[in-house]
Amino acid sequence: MTRPPGTHLSPEEIDSWLSGTLAQDWQQHLDQCQACLERARTEREIVDGIAALPLISPAAGFSDRVMAAVAIPDPFAIRSLQATQRRLFATRKSMALAASLTLLLLGSMAGSIAWSLTHQETLANIGTWLQSQGGQVAWLSLRGLASNLIEQPWYGGIRSLLDNPLQLALGSALASSVYLGGLLILRRLLALPTQQVAHAGM
Amino acid sequence: MASSRPEWDGLSDQQVVLLARSGKETAYRELIRRYERPVFALLFRMVRDRELAEDLAQETFVKALNAIESYRPEFKFSSWIFKIGNNAAIDHLRRRELDTLSLDGSPHAETPEAMQATALQIGARQESPLDTVEAKELGGAIEAAIGSLRPEYRSCILLRHVEGRPYEEIAEILNLPLGTVKTYIHRARNELRQALAHLKE
Repeated sequence: MTRPPGTHLSPEEIDSWLSGTLAQDWQQHLDQCQACLERARTEREIVDGIAALPLISPAAGFSDRVMAAVAIPDPFAIRSLQATQRRLFATRKSMALAASLTLLLLGSMAGSIAWSLTHQETLANIGTWLQSQGGQVAWLSLRGLASNLIEQPWYGGIRSLLDNPLQLALGSALASSVYLGGLLILRRLLALPTQQVAHAGM
Repeated sequence: MASSRPEWDGLSDQQVVLLARSGKETAYRELIRRYERPVFALLFRMVRDRELAEDLAQETFVKALNAIESYRPEFKFSSWIFKIGNNAAIDHLRRRELDTLSLDGSPHAETPEAMQATALQIGARQESPLDTVEAKELGGAIEAAIGSLRPEYRSCILLRHVEGRPYEEIAEILNLPLGTVKTYIHRARNELRQALAHLKE
């Protein structure tokens, strides 16, 4: 900006001087005007003083404390979702199919809600019947299981195990360990690689 | 889990955010590593209490990282995290006004141990003992003068002259018009000049 005659440096011009971008005519004024030069130098001292303030950091372990409260999205779920999205939007045909399925699903949901609202008594009767049948089935299953365990000769091992609490505890611990071990192995087998693998020819 | 440096050095904040969004824990840690010091320094100088600044910094990062999906990559990540941090500090200051700066520790510390634990740790620079004393004196006076500014002026002056952010980014962070930011910074420098005039004499 051209300097109008008789004017002193405004805060904007002092900013420009601090960043070394002051226009030539303002620079000439600064070289001759003691008041402006003193003001600009004081501003520089302040700015330099602020910039030289000590570096301060949070206490050690800050990132661990933050990470303990951060929910990281599950990469397997994200990749599955992205893969599904890619497949859905791959062609016009797949998009049309997805749209039709969505419409069918929404239509059947709406139909189901409408039917339920108009046939509440029927629904209540079905619920009561299912409840009574369910109770009977559960009771019969329990009786069948108990009589099998008591009467069948091939459950003799289990019967003797139930008679001895120590053996029962050891057997449970062993079964739990095998189950957990199996889960860990399965998790490792299903985990996706976290590092990119270098391919030949790339 | 420490993030290995060369893997991250060439990546922009936006690229690290994309990796974080894909569920990579080390990307989250890298974002924390990049911004823990500037965000903490800003908060400390805003609230002038080390423990409180740590709590606010932690709150800032937890809030930002849990909402990483809502971050829009066309904006700078630094602006986003500073905005969250600054809002946390301003909210706190509105609730509870603090008016004294202590380089020796939190004004709320009740025991000498608490004073020691909350004291501002001056970083080591390559200076002679005499320089160190003078720098500490000047630094302390500047810290005190900044502490006496209005919170809005304080945010502006710290973002501009400690973090070196351009005016446009400060306007974005503080959600203020560009002209207002310039005015605040000039007024803040004026107030600092008056507050530090005794040092020149």
